[in-house]
Amino acid sequence: MAAATSFDQLSAAQIAAGVASGDFTAVEVARAALDAVESRDGEVQAFLQVTPELALEAAAATDARRAAGEKLGPLAGVPAAFKDNMNLVGTRTTCASRMLANYESPYTATCVQRLIDAGATPVGKTNMDEFAFGSSTESSAFHPTYNPWDTERVPGGSSGGSAAAVAAGEVTISLGSDTGGSIRQPASLCGVVGMKPTYGAVSRYGVVAFGSSLDQVGPFGRSVADVALAMNALVAGGRDPWDSTSQDCPVDFLEHLEDPVEGRSVGVVPELMEAAGLAQEERDAVLLAARSLEEQGARIVEVELPNIASAIAAYYVIAPCEAFSNLARFDGVRYGYQEPGCPTLAEQTSKSRAHGFGEEAKRRQMLGAYLLSSGVYEKYYYPAQQVRTLITADYARAYEKCDVILMPASPRTAFRLGEMSDPTEMYASDMFTISNNIAGNGGVSVPMGLGAASGLPVSAQLQGPAFRDRSLLTFARAIERAVGGACVAPAFAGRGGELA
Amino acid sequence: MPLTREDVGSIADYARIALTDAELDEMTAYMNEAVALLEPIRQYDLEGVEPTFHPIGDLSNVMSQDVPDDEVRHLPVDVALSNAGTSRERSFRVPSILGEAGGDR
Repeated sequence: MAAATSFDQLSAAQIAAGVASGDFTAVEVARAALDAVESRDGEVQAFLQVTPELALEAAAATDARRAAGEKLGPLAGVPAAFKDNMNLVGTRTTCASRMLANYESPYTATCVQRLIDAGATPVGKTNMDEFAFGSSTESSAFHPTYNPWDTERVPGGSSGGSAAAVAAGEVTISLGSDTGGSIRQPASLCGVVGMKPTYGAVSRYGVVAFGSSLDQVGPFGRSVADVALAMNALVAGGRDPWDSTSQDCPVDFLEHLEDPVEGRSVGVVPELMEAAGLAQEERDAVLLAARSLEEQGARIVEVELPNIASAIAAYYVIAPCEAFSNLARFDGVRYGYQEPGCPTLAEQTSKSRAHGFGEEAKRRQMLGAYLLSSGVYEKYYYPAQQVRTLITADYARAYEKCDVILMPASPRTAFRLGEMSDPTEMYASDMFTISNNIAGNGGVSVPMGLGAASGLPVSAQLQGPAFRDRSLLTFARAIERAVGGACVAPAFAGRGGELA
Repeated sequence: MPLTREDVGSIADYARIALTDAELDEMTAYMNEAVALLEPIRQYDLEGVEPTFHPIGDLSNVMSQDVPDDEVRHLPVDVALSNAGTSRERSFRVPSILGEAGGDR
C-alpha cells in the first residue's frame, strides 16, 4: 500500500480481500484495530473488555491459513466486537451487570463462533444496558458509553457499545441483540447500519436471554454490504441444533444486494409519519429515503398497521414477564454474585439478587413478577399475546400490498446523558422498532446523514416479512446508493489504526 | 386500584429481591406508572382472538432426537462449578434450605 491508511477507511470486504491477497496481514489489521481502540476508546468507552490476546491469536491463525495455501473466510482479518451478553471462551460475559461481573464464559455463543469461523478477529466485548434493559447504555453497571458523534450524548441502547465501536471506527463490524429495538435504535443514534434479522434466522445459543420470544442477534456495520457479509457468516452452517428456535436460512445476502428496486413497492404508514414525539429531522430522513427509492422506480404505497399503537403496551407486558422468568436463574448459587454470610438459602437468594441487579433490572423483574401473578395474568399477559396476534396479522395484511415498510427507526437523534431520567419515558425510544419484535419480522436501520436541526445522525428503518431479510438489505442498499453511506465519526476517523 | 407499598413488598418477596424501604417507595411509584402504560391492552375486545406465544406462528420448534449422542457438548464439572460462589467437591454449596421453612412465603 502506498500511504499509511487507517483500517477504519476499509470495508469488511476490502480487509478480507487485502488479507487474502497479501496486501497486509490479519495480524497487521488486528494491531491497527487494537491501536485504534487504545487511542479512541478512552473517550467513547464502547468496550467492557478488549481482548488483544484473542485478537492476535485469531489473526495469526488466519495468516497461517493463508501461508498454508488454504482458502480464507469472507471475514478474514476483519476486526469485530461482540455485545457483552454473548459468551466467548477466554472472556467474561457480564451483561454489564454486577451480577455477572466475574462470570467467565464457559463456552462460545454460536453467533460469535460463526463470525470467527468466517475469519473475523475478536477485538473485545462491548458495553450495553444491564441485561439489555434500556435504550441508552446508561444502565450499564460499569460505565456509560459516549456517542462518537457527540460525546456528551448517549449512543442509544441496549447494544450501545457495539454501535459506538463501529461508529468510532474501532472495529469494522460488531454484533448486538435486539429485543425491542436494541440494534436498530443505537444504529440510528450512531449513524451506522444495524440489522435485526427475522426471529430464528440467527442462533441465540450462548447469548444471555432477556425475552426469549423476542430476542434476536444481528450485525452492525458502516455499510449495507458489511452487514450483508456478517449476515452470511451468521447463517452459514444452517440451523443451529443448540437453539431450538433457530431456523435454516439458506440465503446469500450479497447475491441480490445491487438489484434494482424498480417496480417494487414500499409501504408507508401515514399515522406513523405523524406520530407524536417524532422529530421533524427524523421524519425528513424517512421522507428522503422514500424519495430516493421512488426516484429509483419503486412504488410508494400507503399501508395500515391499525394495532401498532398498542405494541409498546403489549411489549411491556410480554418482555418483563419473559425477563422475570429468564432472570430467575440468577439465584447466587450456580453463577453470579453471591451475597456472603447468609444463614439461609432464601436470604442468600434475595440479597444476591438485590445487590447483584441494578435498578432497571429490578424494575423489569418486579413488573414481570406482578404481571404473571394469579389474577393479574388474565388481565394483561394473555390479552397481550392476543394483541400480538392482531399486530402480526396487521403486518401480514400490509405485506400483501408491499415488499417492505419504510418508517422511522428512532423518534429522535441522540439525547444527552441523564436527559431521560424517567424510566417509562425511555420506553418510548423504541416506539418504531418494538412492533417488529412482537411480530418476529426483520428490520434494518439505515443511516441518512445528519439532521438539519441537531447535526447528529438521523436514519430510516425498513421492515420486511419474516425470512425476507435479504430483500430488506436490497432496499437498504438502494437508499445507501442514493444518499451515501455511513462514515466513521469525524472526531475519531483516522486517529490511530494505521496499517503499516 | 393502584398498587400499595404492601402489594409491592409482597411482589418483591415473590421475586426474591430484597428491597430497602427507600427502594420500595420508588418501586411502588414505578410499578403504578408502568402498569398505567399497559392500559391499552385492557381496552381491546379480544373475544375469539387466539394468542401468539411464538412470533413465527406457522413454524414450530425444532426438536432433537431423544437419543444419546457422543458428540453432545456438555460442560465438564469443573467448568460448571467454576462460576459458582461456593462449591465443594463436585457440587454447588448452599446455605441451609430447611432453615427457611418457617419464614418462607
